[in-house]
Amino acid sequence: MDVRPQLIDALSALRDRVAAVRLPLPLPGAERAWQTRVELLDQLDDYLLPRLKDPEAPLLAVVGGSTGAGKSTLVNSLVGCRVSQAGVLRPTTRTPVLVCHPDDHHWFAGVRVLPQLTRIWLPPGQARDPDGLDDLGAAGGDEESALRVETAVSLPRGLALLDAPDIDSLVVHNRVLAAELICAADIWVMVTTASRYADAVPWYLLRTAKEYDASLVTVLDRVPHQVIAEVSRQYAALLTRAGLGDVPRFTIPELPESAGGGSGLLPTTAVAPLRAWLTHRAQDPAARQQSVGRTASGVLRSLNVRLPELAGAVAAQYAAAVRLSGVVEEAYRKEAARVRRRLQSGAVLAGDARTRWRGYPLDSSTGELLDALVESLVALLQCAVAAADDEIRTTWRGEPASGAFRFEDAGREAGGWGPAEDIEGRIAVAVRRWRRVLEELADEEVRLLEKNAAPDAETVAALLAAALLGGRRTRTAGEQLAERIGVQGALRLRDKGGALLTACLDQVMHGERDRRLAPLDALDVAPEPQAELIAALSVLQKERVKP
Amino acid sequence: MTAVTDQDQDRDPAHGPGGGQGVERAGTEPQAPAKGAGRDGRWDDGLIARRAATASEEPDEAADAEDPGDAGDGPDGPDGDIATEVEAYERSGGPLTPRLDSLRELLGLSRARLDRETLAEAGRVLDEAAARQRLSSRHTVVAIAGATGSGKSTLFNSLAGAQISDTGLRRPTTASPIACSWTDGAAGLLDRLAIPGRLRRRPQQGGSEADAALQGLVLIDLPDHDSAAPGHREQVDRVLALVDAVIWVVDPEKYADAALHERYLRPLAGHAEVTFVVLNQIDRLPGEAAELVLDDLRRLLDEDGMALGEHGEPGATVMSLSALTGEGMPELREVLGRFVQERTAAARRLSADVDAAAARLRPVYVADGRPGLGERAREDFTDRLAEAVGAAASGQAAEREWRRNAGRACGTPWLRLWRWYESTRQLGGLDRMALALAPAPAPPEEEITARQRVEQAVRAVADAASAGLPGPWAQAVREAAVNGARGLPEALDELARNASAGAGAGAARRAAGAGTRTRAEVRAGVRRRAAGPPRRRVRPGGRRRYWCRRR
Repeated sequence: MDVRPQLIDALSALRDRVAAVRLPLPLPGAERAWQTRVELLDQLDDYLLPRLKDPEAPLLAVVGGSTGAGKSTLVNSLVGCRVSQAGVLRPTTRTPVLVCHPDDHHWFAGVRVLPQLTRIWLPPGQARDPDGLDDLGAAGGDEESALRVETAVSLPRGLALLDAPDIDSLVVHNRVLAAELICAADIWVMVTTASRYADAVPWYLLRTAKEYDASLVTVLDRVPHQVIAEVSRQYAALLTRAGLGDVPRFTIPELPESAGGGSGLLPTTAVAPLRAWLTHRAQDPAARQQSVGRTASGVLRSLNVRLPELAGAVAAQYAAAVRLSGVVEEAYRKEAARVRRRLQSGAVLAGDARTRWRGYPLDSSTGELLDALVESLVALLQCAVAAADDEIRTTWRGEPASGAFRFEDAGREAGGWGPAEDIEGRIAVAVRRWRRVLEELADEEVRLLEKNAAPDAETVAALLAAALLGGRRTRTAGEQLAERIGVQGALRLRDKGGALLTACLDQVMHGERDRRLAPLDALDVAPEPQAELIAALSVLQKERVKP
Repeated sequence: MTAVTDQDQDRDPAHGPGGGQGVERAGTEPQAPAKGAGRDGRWDDGLIARRAATASEEPDEAADAEDPGDAGDGPDGPDGDIATEVEAYERSGGPLTPRLDSLRELLGLSRARLDRETLAEAGRVLDEAAARQRLSSRHTVVAIAGATGSGKSTLFNSLAGAQISDTGLRRPTTASPIACSWTDGAAGLLDRLAIPGRLRRRPQQGGSEADAALQGLVLIDLPDHDSAAPGHREQVDRVLALVDAVIWVVDPEKYADAALHERYLRPLAGHAEVTFVVLNQIDRLPGEAAELVLDDLRRLLDEDGMALGEHGEPGATVMSLSALTGEGMPELREVLGRFVQERTAAARRLSADVDAAAARLRPVYVADGRPGLGERAREDFTDRLAEAVGAAASGQAAEREWRRNAGRACGTPWLRLWRWYESTRQLGGLDRMALALAPAPAPPEEEITARQRVEQAVRAVADAASAGLPGPWAQAVREAAVNGARGLPEALDELARNASAGAGAGAARRAAGAGTRTRAEVRAGVRRRAAGPPRRRVRPGGRRRYWCRRR
């Protein structure tokens, strides 16, 4: 397979795009998409990029299979000495073991392939105790996966064997690691046994191998002597039915030597065919080329399917974010319109404010009137904001994506947008600021008039507030204002005050709305990543088909 | 639970297959036959006697699933790091029927509020319990389940003494469940499991005493649960939900399979009492490796959260055997025989199911803290309504008006003149005086109550009432509040209007209802006096009626 630098560049760019994908909203498909992303990244880093950059690196054959299939025994027998621990208790292999020829050690000792796994090896010359070797892996900590690298002269050059953990292990970490290791292989060696060959999990892996068109070998292990022929036949039938009829098949009988009593290794004759096949693949240039090329191009082709899936998930995130913010904006728009309607109909002039206005100027002073009007306006705005919040909460409850914003398991008081006192406090501060500006306006206007006929600035402010806030109900306020400071002055004040009032209302409503949107905006869900992913994929495809 | 066995045994000859009734009647009297263990020397088992004692000790634990004070082990049982679906929920040993009735009532009450999926599982449990209790309680249905190749069919044949089920090397082998019943009368049970007639068999009539012990057993050989053949898994899942007890067969190769533990053993950890775990094929293991593997198996079961029946404690039975060579089979027969003779399997299984359903429903019903309206919330609500009506301002205005009138009515002429001068100087102008004398009429269509404050008050009280409740219930409370508050502003308007109409002492008392009691007490006296002076409801056109003082 001929690899040009542009292809590698396109692939690296694609890898960066995939690494930059984020799925912050908890939508139903987000989990799965995240898994796809992780798998994709792992495969690109562990296998595809290193293989394309260094086509002459040794072949990596990963031996995978279910719990108790006999993988470790098989690897030990192929190598000729016990490098991997086999045992009765399950699961056995806890740290994966990679065995290669000493000359090839430098290929695998660094982080060229499988960069996330830390390498462990004993210095050459130190005696090996297979039973204690697994403790080395465990000592490295669970979070950091480890890979034990061994060398054996009996392996042919250009071939490396990896003993993977069980693909259906009880320990989730091992399962995930096994899947990752198998996807990093040039040759997949799937081991199954006479009692397990119909299990569902290994068949899932076999089908995946077929999808990726990887170089695949299957080994039927631990078959009792008496039934070798029959079981082989049945297994072959199952494989053919699944479309894997042309996969090389090897059968190994169950032998007492491989149990705990003997040396733990299978006799050479039992594993000779498999060893011969692997050696041939590693050393014959044409066969090697074919194996390597087939797996690599299979993976490249599979990108055509996996990437659009990932892009779809990203697009769904963006759509959900748009929906959520749409709800917020709609709610606040409606409430703002309602506030304006109420203001015009004079709802501010109710309760305390109404009594004060009716009793003005005899039963209530200007200070009291102004206070009552301002308080009433504050209550109006607080009610509007609370109603909008309620609306948002109820609508978001039906959206799975809103799980990222935890406001619904506590009351409004402990809401995710700040406690209610904060919201009310903010509104009160804004309205009071408006009141101060209004008073300053009245002051200015009064100063323009002559000293002796000048009315009290406070009175002017109170009347102005009543005129602005009372709507139809305070027509007389306007008249009284005109009496005091003249018609032009009154008109001027009313215009300016009205503008200020509108500005204050907008500031409050829009400010609260922006606060609600802030957590959503902070997630920074944009439509670009999806387009970028697809663009990177098409660049890659173009590079592949160029002659 | 002993009660069930006792009554059944006595009524057995009389009622025959109507044994289900015995279960119901027994459920209502747990105490009486508890000490009847000695009556019929067969049940000398310390296990049963102990369980009966706990049943009589806690009669009120007959689970009211709604009880928020339930001291259940929450979602983190003894092994907190494994996240299982249902983990170590509280074992309530109470009789089954009251628990089922409570659960049914609970579901009936919540259908309007909760969505169907939440209640679906509990509904299914109730249906299955009803179906099982209608059928024979003389029989115990035991299923043999396990992975492909573990030796279920071999074990089945060995227990039945005849080659009923196909065994072989082709994987997977058993494709449909096969039943073997030791006693007659199990037709209803087998119909419920949907086992066709051609797959129902009888065991070898051998006349051994082991067979006598297994009377009442119905054994089912299931397909495997982990092969790639389609449909096996669905069959297994379906049948496992309907049987009374399960024998899990594991073999040395597959005993640590994730599929077995995660999909079946962990979710069913609470059914430990009706679970047997059998390690088969120990003839393939050398020497003491069998012991090692058995210990490892126990460790895994412990990690799954399943109680192990060691040292006489209730729990799952774990043993090792080889169905092919017969090693360990007599022990299994004995244990199985004892289990079948107790005849409590069905009730135990249903009880465990109810436990699981209750634990799953718990978060949807049980609130944090104590929701409800306290005194403070009520007072707060009243205060806010008073603010909405403007009670404070009205009170002050009335007080000042009264004072003004009082001043006018009771001052000396010089004082009156002085005050009049003050007022003109302050207000400035003759028309101001007119304003003072004849205040503007109020257009009657004005709203008196601040609608927005009423809305806020209702919201605040709804929040206080629903604090800590689970989602749907909090929503219900809020909706009820909103619905109940319709017409509240209009009613407040009415009250306020009547109060200010000044129609007499009665109006003042009515007006007192709009504000708090304390304020009303102070103002009532004032208003009664203020109601004296002339009515303010002046006809449009404002005739001066001020000078007509009412005496």
